[in-house]
Amino acid sequence: MANLNIDSEKNRTYDAIVIGSGISGGWSAKELCEKGLKTLVLERGRDVQHIKDYPTTNMMPWEFEHRNEMPYKVKEENPIVSKCYAFHEDAAHFFVKDKEHPYIQEKPFDWIRGYQVGGKSLLWARQTQRWSDFDFEGPARDGFAVDWPIRYADLAPWYAYVEKFAGIAGDHDGLPELPDGEFLPGYPLNIVEKYFKEKVQKKFPERKVISARCAHLSKPNQIHIEQGRVQCQNRVLCQRGCPFGGYFSSNATTIPWAAKTGNMTLRPHSVVHSILYDEQKGKAVGVRVIDTNTKEEIDFYAKLIFVNAAAINTNLILLNSKSNRFPNGLGNDSGVLGKYVAFHNYSARIYAEYEGLLDYTAEGRNPAGGGYIPRFRNLHKQETDFLRGYAAGFGASRSKESDRSGLGLGLKENLLNPKLGIWQVGSHMMGETIPKESGMVSLDGSKTDDWGIPLLKIAVDYDENDEKMKKDYIAVMTEMFTDAGFTNIRPDTHWQAPGLDIHEMGGARMGHDPKTSVLNKWNQMHAVKNVFVTDGACMTSTSTQNPSLTYMAFSARSVDYAVSEMKKGNI
Amino acid sequence: MNRRTAIKQFFIIAGGLTILSSCLNDGGASIVLNKLKLSAEDEQFLGDLVDVLIPKSDTPGGKELNLHLFVVKMVDDCESPENQEKFVSGFNKLRKQLNLANAKETENTLANLTDKTDEKTFFEIFKSRAIQGYMNSEYVMKNKVIYKLIPGPYNGAVKING
Repeated sequence: MANLNIDSEKNRTYDAIVIGSGISGGWSAKELCEKGLKTLVLERGRDVQHIKDYPTTNMMPWEFEHRNEMPYKVKEENPIVSKCYAFHEDAAHFFVKDKEHPYIQEKPFDWIRGYQVGGKSLLWARQTQRWSDFDFEGPARDGFAVDWPIRYADLAPWYAYVEKFAGIAGDHDGLPELPDGEFLPGYPLNIVEKYFKEKVQKKFPERKVISARCAHLSKPNQIHIEQGRVQCQNRVLCQRGCPFGGYFSSNATTIPWAAKTGNMTLRPHSVVHSILYDEQKGKAVGVRVIDTNTKEEIDFYAKLIFVNAAAINTNLILLNSKSNRFPNGLGNDSGVLGKYVAFHNYSARIYAEYEGLLDYTAEGRNPAGGGYIPRFRNLHKQETDFLRGYAAGFGASRSKESDRSGLGLGLKENLLNPKLGIWQVGSHMMGETIPKESGMVSLDGSKTDDWGIPLLKIAVDYDENDEKMKKDYIAVMTEMFTDAGFTNIRPDTHWQAPGLDIHEMGGARMGHDPKTSVLNKWNQMHAVKNVFVTDGACMTSTSTQNPSLTYMAFSARSVDYAVSEMKKGNI
Repeated sequence: MNRRTAIKQFFIIAGGLTILSSCLNDGGASIVLNKLKLSAEDEQFLGDLVDVLIPKSDTPGGKELNLHLFVVKMVDDCESPENQEKFVSGFNKLRKQLNLANAKETENTLANLTDKTDEKTFFEIFKSRAIQGYMNSEYVMKNKVIYKLIPGPYNGAVKING
């Protein structure tokens, strides 16, 4: 019997374990496997194989039971996920339904999740911008959170490394606040977006309108072809999964690449309960998993553990990894684990019309979505009554509309002969929010999920800074729209709960000081040297960029460091 | 679903959309509905009404594309219970007022429905759902206002002729 157990344990032992297969987990897996480590990738949801498991990808609009509209009953049963812009018939199967995985909203929080191999990398909005030192130096300059333990120079080569493999389309804009990268050709601004860019440039030279940078293969390189991906076909049906691999997802890119090494074992249906800590060895020794099919509890072992469960679930796993040494969660000597969770403020938009350039239109669909305005508020110095600032999306479109009045042959004729309307323009804000101790996630003391894991309580909220920033965004955009001659300007300051931005960050933040942070400058736990966190949980502050590209860079950089430390015998 | 229904089930194409057919012999609607109750006669009336809205010409009309069944399917699955109630109530009231044989009179009645009445709500839902079904129908998307799954390259500055 003893031998059997030893054999069984041996069979459950790997060089490294990666928890999660989304954007950051896929990268951790690829890098570890390429470096020759036998790697177990744990995914709580089902397997989704590239192309094969994209059931809606080639469906025509009339083939959807409700023309892509979600039935009333589904919306009523799932009020949270129904708020997500991509939750429609063509992609609903990639989203977690509210009832399936409950959590406790101490304050309103829309937690949008994708539990499957590839995670939310199938569903993301694919916008990819580098951070700069204006972002990394933010907390130190403006006196919030803690100082980032890294600067742009630490991450720059890793941005380049992941960009080359993932494929990022963008222009070289030469902006210090939004560093250029290893770009494939950028998607063009359309004629009205270009017009707006020029108007803004003239009147407000410190504000820039550029083509949005995105993870699409505008012109694939050899490395992308080797991945089995081809040029993006501009379908812009990305949320269905792309049969061309036209955009970056774990499913199309990192997971198959890791599999090709022969070093990856992918285990779907594996909910991580906790990370196992050995007090004598002074390090983590493995991961406890619950098989969602058999409900069996299984322990897996490894020398190295990467936690990439997505920001909030990473916090949940760490908080639930309790031992005598760490009674309040793994690596939580500081007491900050689960705290300083922040997000992006998306709660203002503005729309308008433009009656110029009517002898032009745009044809086709733009995968980048249009223009991007990097943060300009408080960039070089504090100049407003709020901290930090916002980036903004900007887009113009001209669509063909039919006159729908009346009925009969006249109506029919009009429906079949849609006419070009005037240009419609719009923008949305992406505001930096300030991480606060009160913005936190914690474990419920009594309620558990189907696997006996404590339910997560979420208490994350806006503050006065966010309100001031929102007002400023509306004022600034109104000013710029007015100057450009746009008319019928309509600000939309709807309230939306934190979380719907799907940019939740923090809880296991990086920092210099083990007393005030969980991770060091290598995304390595201060207190448990063989555990690394490279998803959104590691974020010390949020800045304004879409965060995924930074998680990719963190993952690749941390694996490189971890493996070199292993070779030196330090892990 | 009982066994009899299950055996008799087949599919109806409404505007290119495949809808589960119900048992055809009980005087009910020809498609499976969860909440709405519709007689064969109701269905006939809605079919005639959708042809008033989008008549047959050298191209198929609403009834031929089964847009009335599409409307009913969408109201059954996608409208709120309040809207469903108004839809049914408005339909029952309006059908007594309409003489579909007289096109002029019908158009006149429909154009002059009083705001905030169930009749008006019914017709607003009916019309917008029928147009939704029409514009997203296989026929229109393949032959008239063409939808391309792969639209070709993006061009942000196309000069319009004339």
